[in-house]
Amino acid sequence: MDRSDTFDIEFTLNGEAVAATVPARRLLIHFLRDDLDLTGPKIGCDTGHCGACTVLYNGRTIKSCMMLAVQADGATIETVEALAADGEMTPVQQAFHEHHALQCGYCTSGMVMSATYLLEKNPSPSPEEIREGLRGNLCRCTGYVNIVEAVAAAAGKETSA
Amino acid sequence: MILAPVEYCRPDTVDEAVEALNSSPDARALAGGQSLINVLKMRAAAVDLLVDISRLEELKGIVRHDDGTLEIGAGVTYAELAESDLLGGDPRAIAEVAADTVDPQVRHRGTIGGNVCHADPINNFPPLMVALGATMHVVGPDGAARDIPAEEFFTGFFTTAVEDGELLKSITVPALADGTAVGYVDLEIGEAAARAVAVVRTEDDQIAEAKLVIGCLPVPTRRPEVEAALVGTAVTEAAVAEATAAAADGVEPLSDADATAEYRKAVIPVVAKRAVLAAAKGGHRG
Repeated sequence: MDRSDTFDIEFTLNGEAVAATVPARRLLIHFLRDDLDLTGPKIGCDTGHCGACTVLYNGRTIKSCMMLAVQADGATIETVEALAADGEMTPVQQAFHEHHALQCGYCTSGMVMSATYLLEKNPSPSPEEIREGLRGNLCRCTGYVNIVEAVAAAAGKETSA
Repeated sequence: MILAPVEYCRPDTVDEAVEALNSSPDARALAGGQSLINVLKMRAAAVDLLVDISRLEELKGIVRHDDGTLEIGAGVTYAELAESDLLGGDPRAIAEVAADTVDPQVRHRGTIGGNVCHADPINNFPPLMVALGATMHVVGPDGAARDIPAEEFFTGFFTTAVEDGELLKSITVPALADGTAVGYVDLEIGEAAARAVAVVRTEDDQIAEAKLVIGCLPVPTRRPEVEAALVGTAVTEAAVAEATAAAADGVEPLSDADATAEYRKAVIPVVAKRAVLAAAKGGHRG
């Protein structure tokens, strides 16, 4: 069992194999943003509350400010950059665009990741289920109504929430 | 925030993890990290070695034994608890509390073992484990193993009976007796202002047996006098309110950003009453 302050890691990032050397203390969010130039995930609160840094880790949403980069070793990570990879917006992204579900936009990549994950698990959520699914993502512009409408629209449902 | 320099290792077995935890007095087990990473960011603890136990299969099991006892690995996440078929029945409070823990991202990483070992007064599992009469199974160096009743596990503010160099391996929860249900009520102001868990057995619309644990205190606290007063009480709001009126007597809540101690003392009887009523009416949230 190796014990070290630096590790060589290999993982799959947005469909591609990545190998890197990371200090043990490096947070996943810093690794993604500063080392790999993936600036879609944001640092909002840096305390695990706001969800702006949300990415998929082995298919499940996690907050990348609450994990070490070395823990990505062997995992599959997807960031918001994995969506619209071919230039075509996903239904969730399109719905955010059409429903004006962003104001300053800082929370948007995290919101889109959580919404995408939610719809994968539950293709036709109620407004309450959408709100529960987005509970880990804060919008400080407080534009939640349009966000919930966008997610409902992406699910093929309109709502007056 | 950038963490202080630290070493890391990822053992393949619980034995290796215990060995690593004993290699330095400042080694800490890293499970889901949903509390510990923030502790490290604030540099609130001196840690020189992180022992990553988040992938240990030995800590991942949920097993229902023949006598109905449930055994939960310390590394089981809230999401895994919430989704487990084995928790669909009795005591379903565990799955429901897990499903309501913080948010989806935290539930995907955070573990029941981390929740109870971090022992933050506002954590949701400590009072539930005490109320359900759970037993904590702790392993140490050279194959040492200790079973600690939940009631003796929480020893103070952010402190448990787990000693340096030990690791919580699993938690067993006994099956509830027939006619028994769990009530779990919290007052969500900020993280949580007050919380009560009741385990109540009813007979002919009367409370035959009751256990009441108050949370959001430095340690989850049983209220034996209130439990005694509840026996023989009719399952009505007035009767239960009278029996639980003393639920905050003698307890010393904390004042923090969410609520003052005075406010907490005032609302403890309210959540206690609601938890008992919810349990007496078949559980679990009121």
